[in-house]
Amino acid sequence: MKQLFKEVHEAWLATQFTGFMSQTQSRQELYEFSNILFKHLTWLENDFIKNNITYTYDIPQVPIKVTHLSHMLHNIIKRIESIESQLNSCKDEHITFRMASDLNYIKSALQKLPEENVEKCFLAEKKYPNVELTDEARDALTIFLFEESYKEYELIMVYNYSKANSNDAFLNRIFQILIDESFFHLRSFGQMMAEMGILGVPRSLMEEIYKFDDLEQFLKDGIQEEIGAKEECKKLAAAVSESSEHFAAFFTFINNQENYHIALMEEALEHINKK
Amino acid sequence: MTADAHLIEHMMNPKNYGNMENPDATGMGKNPQNGEKVAIYLKVDKQDDPLITDISFQAIGCTTTIVSGSIVTSEARDIHFSRAEELVSATLGILEHQSPEDAACTEMVALALKAALDTYKEKQKDPEFSMYSYHITTDCTPQEEEKSEEEK
Repeated sequence: MKQLFKEVHEAWLATQFTGFMSQTQSRQELYEFSNILFKHLTWLENDFIKNNITYTYDIPQVPIKVTHLSHMLHNIIKRIESIESQLNSCKDEHITFRMASDLNYIKSALQKLPEENVEKCFLAEKKYPNVELTDEARDALTIFLFEESYKEYELIMVYNYSKANSNDAFLNRIFQILIDESFFHLRSFGQMMAEMGILGVPRSLMEEIYKFDDLEQFLKDGIQEEIGAKEECKKLAAAVSESSEHFAAFFTFINNQENYHIALMEEALEHINKK
Repeated sequence: MTADAHLIEHMMNPKNYGNMENPDATGMGKNPQNGEKVAIYLKVDKQDDPLITDISFQAIGCTTTIVSGSIVTSEARDIHFSRAEELVSATLGILEHQSPEDAACTEMVALALKAALDTYKEKQKDPEFSMYSYHITTDCTPQEEEKSEEEK
């Protein structure tokens, strides 16, 4: 079942990042399918926990550099077929029945998505449509997007692991909100990376990132990181403000969203300290 | 770090990134200032001058660390230890030409490789030996932050 878990994780990322490549309505469908695959991942994870089986989020790099959307769609279908062939490694038939039904539908829907040329998502042109950026601002934005897309993926997995392994309803509500917020940010940054021709799937996580002993310290460090991210957003907003009002407004918006994440983490800290 | 095409390729598709099952040696480079670290895993063909047949790395760190890890591990694949030790020295030799932040990341990768080589050699004498872990000496505090600390 560990191989199944790993392949569902890879299929989720492949589908999510294929969504970033699309410029049509297919994007929304791919987002929905990636949500379903992420849900499958959590089902299998809960089954591991129920059966006291240790697991990791270790996966190999997921390659996505293609010229046409259909190449990735075929790749995802192949991944799903491999997942289907391993479903019996999970002994919970309710889970595998639901997964099989979802996967069957996803495969048929993927086959019907229209072709798109997606070459420009990987050309590393570092240009954003209708926005003039200085070389310095372009470099800053490029590195910011790599750093933050990884960070959002990391946060999704860290909070997901914490949620899966906690029975505290109060904390789990906060973890779920933070997961949802990180998905939103990952999608915003992923779409920008595709526009700039620098799309890549974040690297896998070292185990100690999500298997930590001290939640309090993790939250304290997390608050500091959010403060750091706010500063980066402010700098970027300033760097792009002359060339793009839209970009400046976007980074100010992301910066202000970080306040909410900080408030949630402070709420979680207060809850832990009350115990 | 600038984001030229060569470096972007390493950011989009880091080479040799990931865990390795049953490595012959693991080495760790750490930045004690901020908790960032790099682990390098080796598969080695036992010879008088051992040969690195496979190499991978994982990191808790920034994009610069990933780019350095991708480049250094690509260089270290399929070379003998004597050549790998020269690679470590050459990599440490370029630190003075880099910004403090970039130098800290590069040093962490070079020290992780050195630690993995030293671990392998130690394991030949003591198979129970776990691994070497080396701390960087470069201060990666950005200059602006140093100034503001002084101002306080």
